[in-house]
Amino acid sequence: MQESKQPEKGEVGKPGWLQVLTIVFFLFYMLIPIIATYIFSVATRWDKTILPEGYTLEGYTEVAKNPYFLITLKNSLVLSVLSVVLNLVLIVPTVYWVHVHLHAAKPLLDLLMILPFGIPGVVLALSLVQVYNFQPIHRSPFLLAAATVIFTMPYMYRSVSNNIEAIDIPTLTEAAQSLGANMVNVLTRVIIPNIFPGILSGSLLVFATVFAEFTLARLIVGASFKTFPMLLVEYTRKDGTIAAGLSVISFTIAWIVSLLILWVSGKGIKSTSDVIKAR
Amino acid sequence: MNNSSRWQKAISAWAGLTPFLLFCLAFEIVPIILLVRGSFLDKSGHLTTAHYVDAATPLYLKSIWNSVKLSGLTAAIGTLLGVFIGYNIYRWPSKRVQELLITLSDVTTNFAGAPLAFAFIIVLGSNGIVTQFLLQYLGLKIYPTFSVYSFSGLTLAYVYFQLPLMVLLIIPAFAGIKKEWRESATNLGANTFAFWWNIGIPILAPSLLAGFVLLFANAFGAYATAYTLTGSRLSLVTLQIGFTITGEVLHDPGIGQALAVGSLLIMGTCIAIYQVASNRARQWTRR
Repeated sequence: MQESKQPEKGEVGKPGWLQVLTIVFFLFYMLIPIIATYIFSVATRWDKTILPEGYTLEGYTEVAKNPYFLITLKNSLVLSVLSVVLNLVLIVPTVYWVHVHLHAAKPLLDLLMILPFGIPGVVLALSLVQVYNFQPIHRSPFLLAAATVIFTMPYMYRSVSNNIEAIDIPTLTEAAQSLGANMVNVLTRVIIPNIFPGILSGSLLVFATVFAEFTLARLIVGASFKTFPMLLVEYTRKDGTIAAGLSVISFTIAWIVSLLILWVSGKGIKSTSDVIKAR
Repeated sequence: MNNSSRWQKAISAWAGLTPFLLFCLAFEIVPIILLVRGSFLDKSGHLTTAHYVDAATPLYLKSIWNSVKLSGLTAAIGTLLGVFIGYNIYRWPSKRVQELLITLSDVTTNFAGAPLAFAFIIVLGSNGIVTQFLLQYLGLKIYPTFSVYSFSGLTLAYVYFQLPLMVLLIIPAFAGIKKEWRESATNLGANTFAFWWNIGIPILAPSLLAGFVLLFANAFGAYATAYTLTGSRLSLVTLQIGFTITGEVLHDPGIGQALAVGSLLIMGTCIAIYQVASNRARQWTRR
């Protein structure tokens, strides 16, 4: 697979010095902040010298001792898993239904899936807090989960619909039926296994996005349901070492999930519509 | 098939979308419509433009201007650097290195918000490692001209997630410029400049526009990075809307609604332009 595609004629061999310089700049810009955070989290003191004066794991023991660490971790996990489940229940059947029975609704679905990118997180939070101003839903984690689903459903949608368009559902369904499968069998043993990579990478993307989500959590629920990013923001103002430890944990989760997604979907370059994000 | 059974079939097909459509209506469309409506109503429910007049005071106009300036600047830097870096990644001789760089862009464009803001404090804070490096080894004192907690710091932090996003958006567009076109142009006597000016840039133009407006919207709607880095030191429109929700500063909720509608208009325009431009771009990248 190496050297399989030469983008331009006459480019075989070594890259030019300007090209190397550009890429080195890019690597520095992208990697220095991350590497610095990893080192800072295990450094004793690092403000006078180029390399830290010593190394310690104290930051992490402080993180682990913090009573809010496990609570916020649990809250963020619950919220992320809930968002994934809601996405699976709402989006996967809808994509299947539109693809198989209602092609006329595809433009509407496409429109609804681009809409969240035009709404700032703060604006959705403001509108939801004002409309749902009654108990028990007002400023509840459930309202927060609904908002995170609105912002993450495009990821699940793209992932599943790219997958569903790549397989031939009518032929698969007919083949299974001719072998005596009923509709439930067709779905559980033929269709779902075939679109499983799409479902899995969509779920991972939703999970990672919600786990790192700060804006909606802070503005819709606030301190009564503290999430992991909220704890991190709090410590950036209080204690640098703990904040570094927490940052490292969230960077690491993001790395793992991103690499899992790439591994699952098995493709390097995404189409332009896959990369847009709501922040 | 007669008409009534066709209708029944259509109705039952659309009925399958009910749960999804109800969810979108309940938690996105209706709340946004009510927000827009509320921005034009006073306390007793009469039509008014008072909230917009109240929002047109220097404090809030400044926040809108700061947001537009920050989004425009970081989108422009992101687009220019992204195209240049994307082209160099695309031309890199080794496929493996290409894939690694694309993977890096893919991961880093998701590194926004609090962890990124904190990483920038570590690197470029007043005692940050790059700040110290510049001071001790190059004798460059970047503080107080530069500050990571101010507009300049926020610009660098935003470029961090804008740049890889542009790289990811533009590489497929370079792939759309066929090798044969370059060869034909060269055979017809075009030099590198003539090729890019007459063929390359016109083909890239829709992708560049789509990328720029997407980056603009991406920065305009951002909240977490700015909140962590600047707190309330720099006034941005998303931060001001946030204050009306949390009540940290005494605010008139009507002003928050007016600012929210203004941001919706700006972001909505960006996304609409993005849609049109990326559809135009797709005619070149589709194979």
